[in-house]
Amino acid sequence: MSEKHERVVAALELREPDRVPTMDLISEFSTINKILGSKPSVASKLFANPRMGWLLDRVLPYTKNLDIADWEISRFAYHATAAMAELGYDSAWVNYLPVFRYLSSTRVEDIYGRYFDIAFDRVGNLSTPMYRGGLISSQEDWKAWDKRAILRLPERAYRTYKRIQKDFGDKIFIFGIFSFGLFENTWQPMGFERFVVALRKEKEFVRRVIRFHADLQCMGIEAMADAGLPGVLFGDDLAYRSGPILSPRTLEEFYGDAYRRITETAHRLGMKIIMHSCGNTSSLLEWFCDCGFDGVHPLEPTAGMDLASVKQAVGDRICLVGNIDITHILVDATREEVFEAVRQAIKDAGAGGGYILAPDHSHPDMSVERLRWMLEAVERYGRYPLNLEE
Amino acid sequence: MEEYLEKVKEAVANLELDEVTPLLKEGLEAGIGAVDLLGAMSQGMVKVGELFEKEEYFLADLVLAGEMMKEGLKVLEPHLTETGVEKKGTVVLCTVKGDIHDIGKNLVGTMLTSSGFKVVDLGVDVSEDKVVEAVRSHSAGAVGLSVLLTTMVNSIGDVVSALKSAGLRDQVKIAIGGACTTQELADRMGVDAVGKDAVEAVRIFSSWFN
Repeated sequence: MSEKHERVVAALELREPDRVPTMDLISEFSTINKILGSKPSVASKLFANPRMGWLLDRVLPYTKNLDIADWEISRFAYHATAAMAELGYDSAWVNYLPVFRYLSSTRVEDIYGRYFDIAFDRVGNLSTPMYRGGLISSQEDWKAWDKRAILRLPERAYRTYKRIQKDFGDKIFIFGIFSFGLFENTWQPMGFERFVVALRKEKEFVRRVIRFHADLQCMGIEAMADAGLPGVLFGDDLAYRSGPILSPRTLEEFYGDAYRRITETAHRLGMKIIMHSCGNTSSLLEWFCDCGFDGVHPLEPTAGMDLASVKQAVGDRICLVGNIDITHILVDATREEVFEAVRQAIKDAGAGGGYILAPDHSHPDMSVERLRWMLEAVERYGRYPLNLEE
Repeated sequence: MEEYLEKVKEAVANLELDEVTPLLKEGLEAGIGAVDLLGAMSQGMVKVGELFEKEEYFLADLVLAGEMMKEGLKVLEPHLTETGVEKKGTVVLCTVKGDIHDIGKNLVGTMLTSSGFKVVDLGVDVSEDKVVEAVRSHSAGAVGLSVLLTTMVNSIGDVVSALKSAGLRDQVKIAIGGACTTQELADRMGVDAVGKDAVEAVRIFSSWFN
């Protein structure tokens, strides 16, 4: 086991490693390009060119472009891993989500029944598509939905992650993500307003959709394990800035068994699994522990997540991951502010192990220079036994 | 009649999805005024808001209550037009340019409507020029801007500048809300308030129009 691997595993097992480990989730071309010195992708150039729009609008509806998009997304995942290894992180959350079909120069839909606007960052790279709505509004729509492309996802995941693990597995501990979360995949294809009504009036329909996605997640985890990945990042945004979207009781009623099945699958295959949910998850932390997750991310400070309080509440049951602010600290803060944020996070959560330091998300305006400062600060303050003197 | 209106209020407050519409139809048939029925529904929504603030209800419950209000308004609206209910004030709502996440904005719109405001919902990804045009043509007294993404916060400043340039800034109050909004951001952008959720948004706008 490599030094980085051992460091990450120790933190996830709530043991004290040699140093606080680090993780990132770079999910934007702009950051990757800045780190690797690469240029915008071919697809970015194509979609950002207004003269190509006319042509794309006429050609794309008639093409089966899932495979073309997969090529781009697979390449993206590979380069994101390379960028995180290059910066010197101990671990990386790698986003490989080959689910998008381009419908026009401005619109994309995915194989789950959602549609999105194509988005760009400030310098013309394709950015995370923006969710606009769903295409599955009834049980009949769900039954009729063509699921063949969904069922091919584990095979695609195996192929891409095997290559990534082969080239970077000895340099960085990789947490693979397989598709979107169960909650997101239940509500987004039908739209939130429709979903909350279905939760009351069509419980069996909702349960059927959740069961399908839980089965798929388990197959995806099998595929990632076969590819050699040591970790899984299970991303499912359950909260917004003030608290959970559903009550903890409703979450347990609809999603509890499925979540436990997913963590058990990962553990049976010898993998670690981290839960990611944006927003204020304070009232869900115990539930994440009960569901069997090894770690919880991102613990967003801007959503009111106080790292010291989280450490006190569940730090003896689950590894805390994240909490470095991406609205100011990793965008335009001074070097001193970045060092202080890292020092404070380690002070709040580092004692005894059980903390992986990481940004609380990713967006195109993040500063690579500040990511480097963050990693420097971990070297200064994160060695055990901790010495947090300024 | 009081007893009947209490039933409507309780049905909304208890999120009894299938009860509200039949109760409203029966109430209208029995000669109860649409304004009174709307008042009962609004009182139910106030209770939903209180339960949300006590953390007994969650965002999904708030949205469900909003859906019930929309269904109820469909029943009542033809009768409300006839009676010409006076509105508390006019609020222009939208998500800022570049941002299309609208769950929060829609919820604020529904709750403001049920609280007696006229809401001009401009939708998503709205330019500052359209906000200015809507404020002017509807003589709006307030603007609500929703922004989820950190990368879009500068669009808030664009709206503030455009309203200033059009000479309208002094006649409108501006509130912002959404995942990346903070009091610090509100101060930096020169807006009047930041709301953490839809219930607080109603409180903010109500304080401006009272």
